[in-house]
Amino acid sequence: MHTLKLLSAFLKVNIQMAVAYRADTIVNILLNLMWLGWELLTLSIIFSNTETIGGWGFGELIALLGVFRLVNTMMIALIWPNTEKFNQSIRDGSMDYTILQPVNSMFLVTFSRITVWRIWDLVLAIVLIVIGINISGDIVTPASILAFILLAVSGVIIIYSLWIVLIALTFWFTKFDNNVTILQALLDAGRYPSTVYPVWLRIIVTFLIPIAVATTVPLQALRGDLDASRMVMFLVIGVVSFLIATRVWKAGLKRYSGASS
Amino acid sequence: MLLIFKRLWQVNWAEQWQYRANLIMYLLYWLVSPIIYLAVWTSIATAKGSVNGFTANDFITYYMILLIVDQMTSNIIIHIFGYKIQDGSLSGELIKPIHPMLTNTLVNDLAFKTLNLMWLVPIWLVLALVFKPDFASVTLNGILFALPAIVLGYFINFLLSGAITSLAFWTTRVFSIHEFYYALILVFAGQFVPLKLMPELIQTIARFLPFQLFMYLPIQMIQGNMSMNEIVQGYITGLIWLVVALMLFMFTWRRGVRRFSAVGA
Repeated sequence: MHTLKLLSAFLKVNIQMAVAYRADTIVNILLNLMWLGWELLTLSIIFSNTETIGGWGFGELIALLGVFRLVNTMMIALIWPNTEKFNQSIRDGSMDYTILQPVNSMFLVTFSRITVWRIWDLVLAIVLIVIGINISGDIVTPASILAFILLAVSGVIIIYSLWIVLIALTFWFTKFDNNVTILQALLDAGRYPSTVYPVWLRIIVTFLIPIAVATTVPLQALRGDLDASRMVMFLVIGVVSFLIATRVWKAGLKRYSGASS
Repeated sequence: MLLIFKRLWQVNWAEQWQYRANLIMYLLYWLVSPIIYLAVWTSIATAKGSVNGFTANDFITYYMILLIVDQMTSNIIIHIFGYKIQDGSLSGELIKPIHPMLTNTLVNDLAFKTLNLMWLVPIWLVLALVFKPDFASVTLNGILFALPAIVLGYFINFLLSGAITSLAFWTTRVFSIHEFYYALILVFAGQFVPLKLMPELIQTIARFLPFQLFMYLPIQMIQGNMSMNEIVQGYITGLIWLVVALMLFMFTWRRGVRRFSAVGA
């Protein structure tokens, strides 16, 4: 309850900020639509030359684009603005105040900045997923939808955990402040099914920087390409990586000694 | 003048050299898209035999050459210069008797580019080992034709970016405008796919725009896919755009600087 109240307070502050810069918000939404147009154009170019790519059809790639946009929204609406704030607070020592609050510091570091207008991107993403699945003609059952949602959530948690580990490393290596670039760099690989990539790239985006776990894998579950044991494995990895991330975060906090000392 | 450029080079090279570790991250970031497109198109070409006449190897060589050409024709002046206008630190440069954009910023961008290319060489060689491109169609003549096109592409891109960056004298939303410009490059320069595979309409428009000099035309020249006629046409369009870009830049720059001093920042 307490955290929910905090979260709504954060949202309120951030909405006020977005409203203060109305024109920017509108320009950003227009640019966002432009990129959506570009993404759909690239897909139509690909599918004017082939019927399937990595075993997936046009509809499935539209749905994948939707899932990709879910992850991308998390990156842009939460991870980037909060990373910026976090790096700043390590440099100038204002991290002190965050730690002093009687609330979980990981929670504060995650949600204090939210790019609010991006929430419409989530709606767009879900629309893309629904339309894409319809075009593809894949048979969807309540069970596969549930598996899809669970795996998507767990995939997002895995990427989130990786982010926490990356920024926590700043406690040990203060100069490590382009920590998130590596995550963002490989994110684009989530636009296409990982089955198209050469093996080494597939290994990177599945295990090292697990973008595909949050994009390709949930859709595979939705299409029924994934057996139960694999699903359980990915869910367990989600839980474990979150536990590891909290551990690393706490260990990092112990290392933190403020900017002046 | 030469001496000024030499000094500017020393200063800017030292400045960029400090950030050499950050540069690797930047380079990695920038590498991913072309590699993904390479993977997507070669997988399609392998499955179908060829795409509209493009074989898997054609795609591999296309994107391998693109990595170098794109690095050479692109620039980062919006990042070097946009902030200088916004926070007013441009004032210090304006009192020097040299043009801030066409000397200091240009040299800084070139230093950045040189350092990037130095990093790119080993990465490129590793990628070549991985993807095994067959460069049989590449000739010395093709490369010689392409080099001036790359230089032309760089300067057109530099001046157009300069004109856009100068809009920062008027608006704080210059980065959004630049994002739109970047999207135009994506569509018309042939980064996603060789322009020949784009819809007919886009190809026709691209012929009248300068963007294909940034990637598509030089790559095609190096690959030996262009007739003499097409090469000449590309160069003429490019030269016209060079003049247009120069005029656009001069116009926005002069107007902008006058406004800048008027505000007294």
